[in-house]
Formats: sequence, structure tokens, C-alpha cells
Amino acid sequence: MSRKVLSEHGRQDKPAVSLTGVTKEYEGAETVRALVDVELQVRRSEFIAVVGPSGSGKSTMLNLLGLLDGPTDGTIRLEGEDVTGLSRAELTEARREYIGFVFQDFHLLPTLTAVENVTLPTAYADGRYVDRAVDLLERVGLGDRLDHTPDQLSGGQKQRVAIARALINEPAVLLADEPTGNLDRDTGTQILEEVRDICDRGVAVVAVTHDELVTEYADQRVQLVDGRMQGDTDEFVT
Amino acid sequence: MSSSHKSGDTERGDDRPRPVPGTTAATRDGTDDGLRADGGTPRSGLSSGLWRFPTLALAWRNLRRNRLRSLLAALGICIGVFVVVVLGVFGTVLQLSASQELGDIGNQVIVSPNPETGAEALSSRQIEAVERAGAGRGTVVPIYTDNAVVSATGSSTPAQVYGIDQPAVLFEGKAEPLPRRHRGGVLVGESVATSLDVQLGGRVEVGSEQYRVVGLMAPGEDITPIQPDNAIVLAEREFSGGFDQVVIAAESPEGATAAAEEIRATLNVRVEQVDVFELSEILETIAEFFSLLNRFLIALGSVSLIVAGVSIFNLMLMSTTERRGEIGVMRAVGIHRGSVLKLLLVEAALLGAVGGFFGAVLSGLAALALWAFSSIGLDVVLVPRNAWFLVGGFLFGVAVALVSGAWPAWQAANERPVEALRG
Repeated sequence: MSRKVLSEHGRQDKPAVSLTGVTKEYEGAETVRALVDVELQVRRSEFIAVVGPSGSGKSTMLNLLGLLDGPTDGTIRLEGEDVTGLSRAELTEARREYIGFVFQDFHLLPTLTAVENVTLPTAYADGRYVDRAVDLLERVGLGDRLDHTPDQLSGGQKQRVAIARALINEPAVLLADEPTGNLDRDTGTQILEEVRDICDRGVAVVAVTHDELVTEYADQRVQLVDGRMQGDTDEFVT
Repeated sequence: MSSSHKSGDTERGDDRPRPVPGTTAATRDGTDDGLRADGGTPRSGLSSGLWRFPTLALAWRNLRRNRLRSLLAALGICIGVFVVVVLGVFGTVLQLSASQELGDIGNQVIVSPNPETGAEALSSRQIEAVERAGAGRGTVVPIYTDNAVVSATGSSTPAQVYGIDQPAVLFEGKAEPLPRRHRGGVLVGESVATSLDVQLGGRVEVGSEQYRVVGLMAPGEDITPIQPDNAIVLAEREFSGGFDQVVIAAESPEGATAAAEEIRATLNVRVEQVDVFELSEILETIAEFFSLLNRFLIALGSVSLIVAGVSIFNLMLMSTTERRGEIGVMRAVGIHRGSVLKLLLVEAALLGAVGGFFGAVLSGLAALALWAFSSIGLDVVLVPRNAWFLVGGFLFGVAVALVSGAWPAWQAANERPVEALRG
């Protein structure tokens, strides 16, 4: 995949993604401050779990990290480069090149098979990625489910297809929104082991979660309350 | 950027996917992604070809997802196109049949002196001008016109009297052909012959003169003011003074129109010397009427296409609302707005194309049925204009679907992925 959006990339000394003094406000009848002056750096091979009660700004933070939304104030850097001022098309391009998403509801396209879902991000890009998709699906243990559509797969299998989709573009950052939210504990564990493995191979991972299980696999735990990061973050390595 | 998969042979900075153990040779040499039907066993059968035409493939699958709903929307377009095309084709058939029935109506030009100038006859200069205009376009026939009471064996009837030396150009014989040159005697029209009960070779009295009947004329079929039915025709030498009118019997309506224009340009420049009565003008009026009728019919049919458009609008609106999350995911994983917009427009266009195609085919069959089950000839059904109705109807169907799908598609493609993912 061509790297056009950022001039330089892959510099290991820079964080894969970072938020500097980021504030996000939503205009309305009264202005809601979803995030206030947030500082966050995620390096490659680092797994950060963001926890906090509902409405604490977890999803907003994930949307900003994923370039789905822009900050009211502050800077977002991807591989060291400021991406805050990019156009809508450039942001789309940057998402396709650097970011992988895993959602709580899997969000697979029901009309596509597992392989097709995995290759979806590359559908309109140059080159075909079917072989890589097959490889990724085999890796997550779905080698025998390549041509199954989502309705023929279990929840855990769907989430594994979603993980394979998130990896098709060899992302710098993997963002997971409640990745275990719709899975039982055993399946959740398997998924988290998969995510941990991906992280160890050089991908920066940020997971937003309520699930304490997720934090057990993370290197760092970030607590959000009312849009503010709380004091010292617990740091531990599994 | 680091690779993060199992086989370990990471290729930093290489954009192409690595060969995977177990892939076919076709894949390894990089010519294809292992999808070729003849290149061994593809590792994923169903996936082959999907991304060759991603927009078309995704659109088709989305439409198939709710087949009944898609079918009904396409059926709406099908009916709309059918009605428009059938009404258009029927209008054409009606118009062409009518002009066939009217025959040579447009071939005559009749020139007479303008009554406002006070002249009762055409001057020889005027007749020469008419003859020049008619040269090469048809036959020029000068005519004397009068009214007289015609009588025979005790009964009498008023009749139109013509003085023509070449009656065969304008009229036809009832049983035998009329003489090419009319030198003496009288030609009698059908009505006059019936009311006076005269036969060929009999005698009639016109004014105070007696004439032998040298020909009987068949009733006229053409629409023209010069009718043989209630008339008798004498030789020119029975009249004196100037001719009352000149008829150009042209070989084509175009020739008649051209001759009429030339006469107007020569004789009616400053003063309106002559009246030029051209029957092709009537044809034009009739054609205008049919054209109006045709447009009215098509406009009527278009209403049904608009209804079909509303149903497509509704379908696209429902479909994009239901698929909000999916569209959000597509945008999130890096598919551009333009591609999403194109996908949704192609979905609408496909509905229009499928409906339009069947609508056009059905209306083509209906036109053939018109030929098969009525007295209408194939020559008025298989005309270029009807082919245009078929093609135009199809394109109109696609256009209506596209226009109807445009707004929902635009809205869905432009929604911020954050909002769309929220569901």
C-alpha cells in the first residue's frame, strides 16, 4: 500500500500515535467538554487500556485517535506527524494506511464472506490482498471459514474476522472499542491473546473497555473521568 | 511499518503482500492473486473477482439482500418505462397510419388570383411563372372554372364546370382511362352521371350547347378542392379569357412546398398577386396535431415513471438508513466518500437499468403484438423513431432511478463516520 499522506514514517523512536493537550467540545444547547487537555502517547508494541465510566470520554478519545473526529483544541500526531489539519480525504487515506479498527459489534458487512470482509479496506486500493487476508484468517484460526458469511459465524469468529480486517493494511495502530463486550469470557480471552500477540509484533494498541479482563493484557491502564485523565496511571506488564 | 503476522519473514517497507505457503504458482509469480480459474485451486472460491469491479459487485449484493424490495422498485421503473414507450410507439403508429390513409394529400399546389386585387383571371405572365416553378417538380395544369346547370333527357343538375386539356393528371376514369388530351365532348363526374342517368356516348346539355359524353370520372380519393364528383370537364377551347387557377400536381410533398415557395417569391414579393393554396400545409397541421397528441401521451406516461422514481427514493432512503453502521465502517476503514457515493448511485442505477430493460423489452413485444393482432402494418411499427422510444425509455428509466437515488446516496456518503457508527 502506498504511503502518501505522511512524508516520513516508520520512525520507531516516535510514538505511533499521540494526543497533545487535546480538548474536545460538543456544541449544543450547552457546550459539553468530552475531553479536557488529554496527553497520551502510544508506542509500537505498547498496549493501552482506557477505562472509565460511561460518558467519561473513552469513545471520544478513540474517535480522535482513529482520525474519525477532530479535536477542538490540541494536536494529534501519527508517526510523529501532525495530522490535525488534514482534509477529509487525507484523513480517510491516513485511516486506510495506518489504522485498524475493531468494534464491539464487529461491524462486518453481512453480504461479504470472511475473506471479502477482511479485504474490504483494500477494495478500492491498488493491488489485491486476498492472499494476505487468507493468511490472516488462517492465523486467527479461521482457515476453514474463509467463504463463510457473518451469519454463519459465531461471535468470537466474527471478532476474529474483524481483527484480521483491522490488520490487512499492516497498521501502525490498532484501536479496539470494547473488543470483548459481546463475547463470553473464554472467547474474550482468546481474542485478547490475539491482540496481545499483534501488539508484541510491533503494533500500537489502544482498547477502550469496561472489562477488567482487557486491562490484564494491557501494558498501561488509563483512567478517564469526566474527560480528564486521572492522576498516575497504573503501569504493569503481563 | 512492521509486519505483524505469523510466518516471521517480515518485509519492512515492502507494500506487496508476502507469498503465503501453500499458495499456487500463479500467485507466487505475482501475476494474479491466486484467483484465476485456471490457475490451480483458488484458496477462496467466492472471493474471486469481487474486487475486480468492487462497486458493481457490492451494489449487486446489497440489492440481492432484500430481493423482494429491490424487485418491487425495479418493477415500478419497468411499468413506468413500459407505459412511456408503449404510448410513444402507439402515437407513432397512429400518426404514420393516418398519413398513409391521407395518401397524396400534400402533392398539389393551387394558384389563383388574389380576390383583393380585383383580378378574376391569372395573367399569362403569372401562368408562366407558375409553369417555371412547377418545371421538374411535377405537371402544371391550368384550369378554367365555372358553374352551370347540366341537363339530359329531361332532368338537370347544377355542377362545377372545369376547362382542362389534361384531365388525366388530376382525375381518374371510372371504367376506362381518361383521354390524355381532352379536345372535345365532356367528361362527367359520378354524381352528375347518376342524377342525369347518362352513359358513356350519351349527350348532355351545358348552357345551350350539346356535348357528347367521352368519359366518366371516378369519385376523387384525394383531399383537394378540385373534386371530380359533382363536376363536368370540358376542353379549354370552350372557354375564353384567362385561366381561373393553375394546379401543380407535384411528385412529392417536398416538391409541392418548394414550388409554392418559389411562386410566392416570384409573384407575391411586393403585392399579394396570387393566392397559393398548398395542401401540404394541411398535412403539417395534421402532423402538428399528432405530435402534440404524442407528447401528451408521453407526458401522461411519465407520471408513472415519476411514481416509480418516488418508490426508488423511498427504497434508497430506507436502505441507507438501515445500513448506516455499515457505511460508517466502510468510511472508517478508509473507503472514500466518493466511492461510497458511487456505490449507492450504482445501486439505484442498477434498479433503473433492470427495470428499464424489461420495460423496454415488454413494450417492444407490445408493439409487435399490435402488428400481429391488428391490421396495422409492420412498416409503421418498425421505424427508427420507435427504436428511439425503446432506447430513450430505457435511458429515461435509468435517469429517473439515478435522480431519485441521488439525495439519499449523497446524504449517506457525507455523514460523518463517527455519527454513522453510533448507529
